Amino acid sequence: MTRFRIFAYSGVLICGIVALAATPSSAADHIIKIGALLPISGPGSYFGAQDKQGIELALDQANKAGVGGYTFEVQYEDSSCAPLPATQAAKRLIDEYKPDVLIGEECSDATLAVMPIIEQAKIPLINAGSSSIKVTDPGNPWTFRIMPNEVMQGVDIATNAYKRLNARTAVLLHENTNAGIGNANVFADTFTKLGGKVLTDIGFGRDVNDFTAIATRIAGMGDVDVIPTYTLEGQGLKITQALMQAGVVKGGGGKAIQLGTIWLPFGFEQKAGNAAIGYIRIVQFDPTDQRPLVRDFIQAFKAKFNADPTHLNAHAYDQIMLIADVVKRGGKDPQSIRDKLAETKDVAGTTGSVEFDKSNQNVKMDTVHYMETKPDLSWVSLKWN
Amino acid sequence: MSETSHGADRRRLSGHSIVRSRHFRYLLAAAVIGLLPLVFTTSYWRTNLILCAINVMLAIGLDFVLGYAGQLNLGQSAFYGIGAYASTLLVTKLGIPFWAAFALGTVMAGAAGALLSLFAVRLRGHYLAIASLGFAVITYQILLNWISLTQGPLGIYAIPPPPPIALPWLPRIPFTNLANFFYLTASLALIVYFLLDQMLRSPIGETLAAIREDEISAASLGINAPKWKAFAFAASSAVAGAAGCFYAPFVGTLVPDAFFVTESFAILAMVIVGGMGTLIGPAFGAIFITLLPEVLRSIGDLRLILYGASVTLVVLFMPGGIMQAWRLVRQRLFFFAEESAT
Repeated sequence: MTRFRIFAYSGVLICGIVALAATPSSAADHIIKIGALLPISGPGSYFGAQDKQGIELALDQANKAGVGGYTFEVQYEDSSCAPLPATQAAKRLIDEYKPDVLIGEECSDATLAVMPIIEQAKIPLINAGSSSIKVTDPGNPWTFRIMPNEVMQGVDIATNAYKRLNARTAVLLHENTNAGIGNANVFADTFTKLGGKVLTDIGFGRDVNDFTAIATRIAGMGDVDVIPTYTLEGQGLKITQALMQAGVVKGGGGKAIQLGTIWLPFGFEQKAGNAAIGYIRIVQFDPTDQRPLVRDFIQAFKAKFNADPTHLNAHAYDQIMLIADVVKRGGKDPQSIRDKLAETKDVAGTTGSVEFDKSNQNVKMDTVHYMETKPDLSWVSLKWN
Repeated sequence: MSETSHGADRRRLSGHSIVRSRHFRYLLAAAVIGLLPLVFTTSYWRTNLILCAINVMLAIGLDFVLGYAGQLNLGQSAFYGIGAYASTLLVTKLGIPFWAAFALGTVMAGAAGALLSLFAVRLRGHYLAIASLGFAVITYQILLNWISLTQGPLGIYAIPPPPPIALPWLPRIPFTNLANFFYLTASLALIVYFLLDQMLRSPIGETLAAIREDEISAASLGINAPKWKAFAFAASSAVAGAAGCFYAPFVGTLVPDAFFVTESFAILAMVIVGGMGTLIGPAFGAIFITLLPEVLRSIGDLRLILYGASVTLVVLFMPGGIMQAWRLVRQRLFFFAEESAT
């Protein structure tokens, strides 16, 4: 076969697959269309994979009997945790899928880039993964965040470090992103005001793969009580293991405690091994929570996916269930869904409860759960909130 | 050969020469640019069109230094970023009008290219690639870490589009309208294409080709290779900088990650997939590389696999890129036409 023919046949095959996949499904009435902007490719793709599981479970449950005569449908778009792909994905969803409501993105840079587009399109966006304060301050009337922002998390974790762990010295490690810098700054401000001392603040790009030099530098700083760390899972694992090898953290025979926020998924401990011993971090979801809502969610998740749910599964599930609650309260199009979202008060979710303030930020601190990794790599919920 | 077939040949040749005429091609390109936003009416597709126009500039700019002067420059992302940041900071921090900032951003990127060329002209092949890659890494780190100037990873948000322009006998043209923004970027891409094309058809093109083929022989003909390579670097960088000036107001957000070194490889892919050493090839390569992942969005998770497979297929079976494929198709069509005529 000539090169020309191979090339031509390959082209025809690819076009065929695209054409088949692009064939629109038949539309139905009384459907709430949800557009999901998720990082399905790139370093944040673990967010997207786990979010999808939570969304699919929530759809199964919400669509079983419907809500007020409505069922729910989700269209996913890969927004890749970055501004340009996120804006392209958002425009595609808005123009071609015409959603009633959007959920996502996980990364703050991407969410911030998408916000002007959804404001112009007047479609509400529910966010559960971006911690940058700028998402809701100043924010816009169409963006709602159900997770605690960087200030809520940073103030809380710094206060707990100082008061509960008696930490007096800290080294800050963070990726050089909006969320990384924002979280680190809030921790530093609060910790310093309380009387603690930040020995150094180390930022790095997402392209850094070897943290040996940074860990060695920290090892040479003497007594370090806590190391708040703000990175995605891939770099988080490498940092934790480098800190163990340098003998800085408990897993490596040191005394420093690594602190983290909601960026790391469950299962991090198993991947990090002994390096994770003593790691204390905020999670959005506490699987030991005894509320029936949480027990039912865990049971249903295990039945569907044969695995324990993570906080990412839980917050994605909560996003869909919040939309279902809004529809139950009369939301049926973008404007009414936005208005009902703004009125949300004490709606229970698996991660905690939801009540928005005037900037559309969830003010409930019961979404902040602390967990500590034990020597056998299990973890315990610290019940600090 | 009979009189009739001579006549048919003449008619075919005269039709062929019109199609091959440069004026006809520019008119055709202008007509296509004019029609595209009328065909693609959603903001999503118009966004993709704008991105295509920006990427065409990046690709033909790189092709000028790589395909014609033979210099493997992997620092194009840096010049793209310098143009984007320089123009945005001039507008947001100093209040300079957009069009002046555009001119200055372009000049600054060109000057950065000239600066790199001071070292780069002494290097060839892999060494030049590594040096230019190093320049891209340094520039990225400066954009990321000079937070007091660039905002670094905190990013610059809510960057306004270029201000409306008023042309004689026409209403004001606002660039908040994506169709107008496309006309602006695509017109600029066409002008850049025209200028590079003119240069390459002048003795400059022959000079660059001589340097590309054999620098020592070129020197024996009296060609000052370092000077012309520096010129090619500066011109190529200025084009990338001009593209960058439109990136920021287009996306509305500026973060250093947009100019990470991988962007250089994406631009290189556009040139190779299109067909290095032809201006039109990289222009089509840019359109192909920009649109393919978007067209494939409808197939969901398999999108990136198919995207990678498609690009690999092109490189594997058509090393000369889209232009080689086109020449092959044209040959076949010509062959079939000849066959049916006889």
